[in-house]
Amino acid sequence: MEAAGRGVMGDMKRPRPPLRGLRGLPCFPVLSGRLHDARTATAIGRWLGAALAVCFVTGLVSHYEQHPPAWLPNSLPSRPAWGYRLRQGLHVASGTAAVPLLLAKLWAVYPRLFVWPPLRSVRHALERLSVAVLVATALLELFTGLLNAAQWYPWPFSFVPVHFALAWVLTGSLLLHVAVKAPEIRAHWRRRSPGTLSLPAEDAVDRRALLGALGAAVGAVTVTTAGQSFPPLSRLDLLAPRHPGHGPQGLPVNRTAALAGVNAQTVQGWRLRVDGPRPYALSLDELRELPQEDVELPIACVEGWSKSARWTGVRIRDLLDRAGAPPGALIRVTSLERHGAYRVMVMPHTYARDPLTLLALRLNGEELSFDHGHPARIIAPNRPGVLQTKWVARLEVL
Amino acid sequence: MRVTAGVAGVVLMGVGVWSLLYGAAPQDPWPVVRWLAGAVVVHDGIVAPLTLAVGWAVTRLPARRVVRGTLLVMAGLTAVAYPVLFRPGPRQNASVLPLDYGRNWAVVMAVTVLVGVGVGWLRWWRRGRPRR
Repeated sequence: MEAAGRGVMGDMKRPRPPLRGLRGLPCFPVLSGRLHDARTATAIGRWLGAALAVCFVTGLVSHYEQHPPAWLPNSLPSRPAWGYRLRQGLHVASGTAAVPLLLAKLWAVYPRLFVWPPLRSVRHALERLSVAVLVATALLELFTGLLNAAQWYPWPFSFVPVHFALAWVLTGSLLLHVAVKAPEIRAHWRRRSPGTLSLPAEDAVDRRALLGALGAAVGAVTVTTAGQSFPPLSRLDLLAPRHPGHGPQGLPVNRTAALAGVNAQTVQGWRLRVDGPRPYALSLDELRELPQEDVELPIACVEGWSKSARWTGVRIRDLLDRAGAPPGALIRVTSLERHGAYRVMVMPHTYARDPLTLLALRLNGEELSFDHGHPARIIAPNRPGVLQTKWVARLEVL
Repeated sequence: MRVTAGVAGVVLMGVGVWSLLYGAAPQDPWPVVRWLAGAVVVHDGIVAPLTLAVGWAVTRLPARRVVRGTLLVMAGLTAVAYPVLFRPGPRQNASVLPLDYGRNWAVVMAVTVLVGVGVGWLRWWRRGRPRR
């Protein structure tokens, strides 16, 4: 059938046996090595490497913004206002783009799983071990990341510390892999590199078609998901776990008032307490009497979705000045909710003193709904959504 | 340079293992190791052989490059859509997974096939004969 096809279609490709037994494993058929070559692996590998590098750096920065370690000073920058939105959007988009790239890369190198003999030397054993670590961490990182964005947790460990730790292992094993393979990568870097030229020339058209299709796959997964954080693509947001138009008051939420145990009864007689050198408390009506600011700021979640909105409320720095807070003070913000990992939030002075940071009372011109933090919530530029504390009960100058 | 990169890689791997065992929230490593091994077994034992089998079948078709490209885009989209399509259990609220993902998946599959057919037809038309 192959031969007949060639005659009819005028195909110039070399004849090729359909199946080939492996040396030493004659009963295990594997496809002949078409496109399972170093040039294909290099061409896919550098896209994948770039995607994983973006994913690692953006993820690392976002992680330290959400969980500031003790050694990080009270000085994370509050600008640019869209910084966290961009970083976390890129983190999720690059991880999503890496899915087809990783699967294609593994397809290209799959026959190497069956090299014979399996272990030639100590060095070879170590190299294979490092590749096993690379493959395992890459698969599990992308899998856990993708499922986390859909709030699906089938594994028996806690997501954040494991995703964080494996990111380091993945990046380290990737760096080691690139170092080990550097001569091969160099030899196949370009179409006219010596290694590439030594490969069958008739594979080049096929390889370009494969790489083109892979580029199309990356484009397709990006345009059908990136709209959850990138407004121009929101109409094509078909497969992302969030859609910017869906949610109370037109804005997605994560923790609802019901989940947080906050309702009309809880907020009855609510007063905002501000504790500092000159402590005071204000009712909602008294807060409404204070000078109100309008700001346009995004809510950006670690899961990758984000949406900009117009917030109206009182500047945090005005509230702190009234309490006599020193300009460099850390601020502790406590929510009405009874429990929850982010019930208490600590705000560096860089955010607290930013004129965009508000104790918001209104969202897009309407009173805040309970799900968005009624009676009052924090909205600050360049911060993860979980630190935009809802149902604020108390500000403390530390 | 190579040696520096290799050593840096080993150090970063060490940071990861240290972070897992002694970091801010220390984890029992064995479930993680089991899931890492499971990911490799599922991929190398099921996903990759299936892909190779499909790829092998596709090389026997006319216009195999276009067919392969179309299947690759469909597979990439399906892999990325897997969690939104199959996540079990109730959602935390109505703004989580708010779309009709089954319908959307069918739409993107159909569009991909149409684009594939269009590309294949364009090539055939340009060359005056089917291209393999």
